[in-house]
Amino acid sequence: MTFSLFFQSIINGLNLGATYALIALGYTMVYGIIRMINFAHGDFIMIGAYTLFYTIPLMVNAGMPAWLAVIAAIVVCAIVGVLVEIFAYRPVRKAGPMSALITALAMSIFLQNLAMVLFGSRPHNVSAIFSLPSVTVAGVTISLNVVLTIVIGLVIMLALQLFVKKTKLGKAMRAVPQDRDASTLAGINVNKIITVTFAIGSALAAVAALMYCTTYPRVTNNMGTTMGMKAFIAAVLGGIGVIPGAMLGGVLIGLIEVFVRLFAPGWYEAVTYGTLIVILLVKPSGILGRNTGEKV
Amino acid sequence: MKKRNQVLSLALAGAMSVSLLAGCSSSAQGGGTADTTSGDSSSAATGDTASAGEEDNVIRIGVVGPLTGGSAIYGEGAQNAINMAVEEINASGGPYTVEIVNGGEIADDAQDAKQAMNAYNRVMADDPDAVVGSFFSSVTLPMAAQAATDNMLLLATGATNVDVTKDRPTVFRDCFIDPYQGKMAALFVQSQGYSKVAVMYANDDDYSNGLKDAFIENCEALGIEVVDTEQCVTTDTDFTSQLSKVVASGAEFLYYPAFQDTVPLVVNQARSAGFTGAIMGGDGWDSSDTTGLETQFDNCYFTNHYSSEDTSDAVVNFVTKYTEKYGTESLNACASLYYDAIYMLYQAAQNGGGTDTASLVKGMTGMTFTGVGGTFMLDENGDPAKQIVVNSFVDGQVQWYETLGPDGSVVSKRDA
Repeated sequence: MTFSLFFQSIINGLNLGATYALIALGYTMVYGIIRMINFAHGDFIMIGAYTLFYTIPLMVNAGMPAWLAVIAAIVVCAIVGVLVEIFAYRPVRKAGPMSALITALAMSIFLQNLAMVLFGSRPHNVSAIFSLPSVTVAGVTISLNVVLTIVIGLVIMLALQLFVKKTKLGKAMRAVPQDRDASTLAGINVNKIITVTFAIGSALAAVAALMYCTTYPRVTNNMGTTMGMKAFIAAVLGGIGVIPGAMLGGVLIGLIEVFVRLFAPGWYEAVTYGTLIVILLVKPSGILGRNTGEKV
Repeated sequence: MKKRNQVLSLALAGAMSVSLLAGCSSSAQGGGTADTTSGDSSSAATGDTASAGEEDNVIRIGVVGPLTGGSAIYGEGAQNAINMAVEEINASGGPYTVEIVNGGEIADDAQDAKQAMNAYNRVMADDPDAVVGSFFSSVTLPMAAQAATDNMLLLATGATNVDVTKDRPTVFRDCFIDPYQGKMAALFVQSQGYSKVAVMYANDDDYSNGLKDAFIENCEALGIEVVDTEQCVTTDTDFTSQLSKVVASGAEFLYYPAFQDTVPLVVNQARSAGFTGAIMGGDGWDSSDTTGLETQFDNCYFTNHYSSEDTSDAVVNFVTKYTEKYGTESLNACASLYYDAIYMLYQAAQNGGGTDTASLVKGMTGMTFTGVGGTFMLDENGDPAKQIVVNSFVDGQVQWYETLGPDGSVVSKRDA
């Protein structure tokens, strides 16, 4: 393998990995706080992507930069996330993990079919969000769009980490999973914290949609299934419930996929899922997972 | 800890079931050439169809096509084209006239193999001399099997799968077959003067594999170096690894035979990876979405059955008449194939000297025909070696580039 191909693959892997990481953050935050795998999370990306598909032309026509559409996507995703939490998940929260899981799966299928009815099953192309040129460095063509999405991903992850560690709301989010009753006694509105968590997780999905659409400008009603699956694996790989774990897992899965595809394209999914199995056998709590301590 | 593991294992079980669901939903996109031969088509064959000694000089034709479903626009074009052909033939005062059974209507197959058998049986109930249809390979395969059993002449229109006509002496078609497109793409590469090519194909798709094999085989025969062969699957969205390797291999041309839904992704990612050469596909590229990727689609080509911009007389004649009557919305390759099919049967009656099924089959075998699809001869399988259209993209719009003859020679080309 030449150096340029290697370097190019690192960039490709980071790009894919950063997208996975952002989605994985959504899984991990929700899991961290209510111990529930939100399988509809992948479909929030689909909603974000459809919002981009419809709002980018509006922005461009109004003479505004296309990336402003992401604000609309964040708002729509956050609203959908909160609505799903309030109407679908909250009523079954007391019924145990099995009910919650099945509700989440049902919600995923519901959202996909709703999108099919509303937007049709034909794939749509999302217009370009950033129109930065490509640069050639040492024989490698790098799209600055890709670099920008990687940077956006990193900045968001950093900001999230700071938010959870430094702010009062972040502290409350860390307190709830440790002891829900004690948190209530300490004056934390648990329901509100859970709603905020869903809103943040869904907003991250909108940003992930932006990153995804920059490289893969296509939106379909079932795009969330595969993306969500990979991101879920990333979250488990890195240690579900741990924010840096989701980032690490996402980047790892992205790099693994890209590099495996260089040598054996037919094998990449087998290797991705195989990695998960190995990690779960060796360290069931994931790479950065801890058995005790705070989880958000 | 224990509870946590429980939740995780539940989640994983859920993950697997979701991925199963994903598998189901994506398998529906197989499109035109998925090989789904339904094992036993339990149809009540309507007796002996070649009613001997029939000499009324009327060719009775049953037509099957996709009038509803995702490809309804094809069926609409087909219905218009058939009405037009029948009107023209009957007004020409020739020795034979044409009648479409089922009240002149196409029997609807809804792009579904089971419904195709119902449609086939419906037209068979009217005792036709020949059946025309259908457009999709997966739909046509069971019909072809039944037609061979019934000894009924079936003239398939868009079904490009090799097996449709194989070992079925009464089954013919008026479109090219899958491997033929791969060969024509190789001839196109040669005519454009490229010497290093790369191929990326979906290894879980028959259509893609067929075109890839034919392309590589013919490239090697023509002395064109295949520097890189990459594979993917039909559900992939990320092709960056494979395309980086294509760029690194120094290829000047990339062949990507696949269906249109992933084409915009591949073209976009290839351009981002710095691939400036030509990218080409087969008829699966028809109606690819180029919105927002207009510049990326420059220097992209695909082979197709026909182009309304072709300057040959037959095409100009067909397009002018069709547009006058029905507008351009449903003027697609499917319409042209159904139009030619009616004329082929008319000519078969003249060649065979009768309008019963046996005479039509006799007239059809080995016939040379000139129509919208050019001049072609049916080979021993009943498949035509016909001209092929190469389209390019200009500002994201499909534009006719040239028409190649079966030997790769340029039949007609857009005026520069």
